[in-house]
Amino acid sequence: MELTVNGHGIETVPGITVADFLKSQDVESPDMVSVELNEEVIPRQAYGTLVLKDNDRIEYLYFMGGGAI
Amino acid sequence: METLHFDTKAIHGSVSKPDVHRSIRYPVYAGVAYDFETAEDIEAAFAWRKPAHSYSRISNPTVEAFERKISTLEEGFGSVALSSGMAAISNVLLNLLKQGDNLVASRFLFGNTYSLLESTLPSLGIETRFVDITQPAEVEKAVDENTRLIFLETITNPQMIVPDVTSLVEIARAHKLVVVVDGTVTTPYLFQAKNRGVDIVVHSTTKFISGGATSIGGVVVDLGNFDWGDYSNLVDYRRFGQGAFIARLRKEVYRNLGACMAPQTAYLQSLGLETLSLRVDRSCQNALKIAEFLQGHKGVLNVHYPGLPSSRFHKVAEEQFKGRFGGVLSFDLYDKKIAFEFLNRLKLIRRATNLNDNVSLVLHPASTIYCDFSAEERAEMAIGDGLIRLSAGLEDAADLMADIQQAMDGIR
Repeated sequence: MELTVNGHGIETVPGITVADFLKSQDVESPDMVSVELNEEVIPRQAYGTLVLKDNDRIEYLYFMGGGAI
Repeated sequence: METLHFDTKAIHGSVSKPDVHRSIRYPVYAGVAYDFETAEDIEAAFAWRKPAHSYSRISNPTVEAFERKISTLEEGFGSVALSSGMAAISNVLLNLLKQGDNLVASRFLFGNTYSLLESTLPSLGIETRFVDITQPAEVEKAVDENTRLIFLETITNPQMIVPDVTSLVEIARAHKLVVVVDGTVTTPYLFQAKNRGVDIVVHSTTKFISGGATSIGGVVVDLGNFDWGDYSNLVDYRRFGQGAFIARLRKEVYRNLGACMAPQTAYLQSLGLETLSLRVDRSCQNALKIAEFLQGHKGVLNVHYPGLPSSRFHKVAEEQFKGRFGGVLSFDLYDKKIAFEFLNRLKLIRRATNLNDNVSLVLHPASTIYCDFSAEERAEMAIGDGLIRLSAGLEDAADLMADIQQAMDGIR
């Protein structure tokens, strides 16, 4: 299954949830991340249950921490 | 681990990364800048895709440890620590308001907050509608299509007025307004703002939280109760979802105003949190004993303290603050001359302008915090010429009452 993540193509396993995907990408502090799926912001509570599909586009952004300046 | 109690969380907190040397307490990172392994890493950090510290005005590991501990205690969504309580309030208001907006605020506020709302914000085209915050009908009447938020303090100082937060939250929900509460004097130990439906809580951490006046600081907490999706002033940050308020604050207002907390301060204040409940309990006990002692005392016209059953705020305070009533009280002497004589005769209680120190402090509000206001304005804010504010410290209450007694006895 192929996803577009922050503008880059990535191969991943089918049936993966948003939470597991973030983990697989070594996303530090997922509690400080907001995720857009196909340009829709998804609520944090859905990370563990929402299953990604082929060709989905994901953007994740940190709203805490200080690097983003 | 979700079921940890307040005191356990106040000590253990919630660090994002353990210290490399496994220090029991998160150390002071006094440095300014942080190295990145690759150019790609720093690019990712600047594109908000990597949670790295880059410059200590924006974020710092020691300050972050303090912020995470505060978020844990408030059960909040996220926190930002600042250089003072006033920095916390001004950053919140500038994050949420723009020219043409208005806010509804209590007429009874800390003097510097009142000045910010009454003088500084209007110069930016932001109007404050001051109301009696204990009258929900008056609050609702002040709301119009340009109102964005309601601002209040959990216990006003020095009037010791206690608003019913639940009724104000109901009004705010009906009009899609943000509820911003200054919880300095109650701290997350006495007032669990999230459970009350408050959206943003601010604290002057200089007071109880610092450990007893160890350092100046402030903190802003988004409690996660407000849906920022339709909030007009955060439209450019919608992609951060529930993080929109914190994202704009961190990445724009806080960054641009530069009122960051120093890492040394964050260390002291994290340490202060460890003993917060012990100090708050003792201070509240002392304040109640002193209020009871002053009530009916010859020469004392009125005692203002919600812990007294005679206070019209006793019931709401008891319910909102877990049966405790704060460490500050005020009382009326006959006039300014008598008030000054009393202050000058105190031997143990110190004359100083701060609250919730370990040391008991006393102040004449009319000639200090409210000295820039006219007599008419002071009257509107219930600041009488004979009013004394007393912040009960952690000393033995018997010694504090003896000091008050000897000062009263000496007044001619």
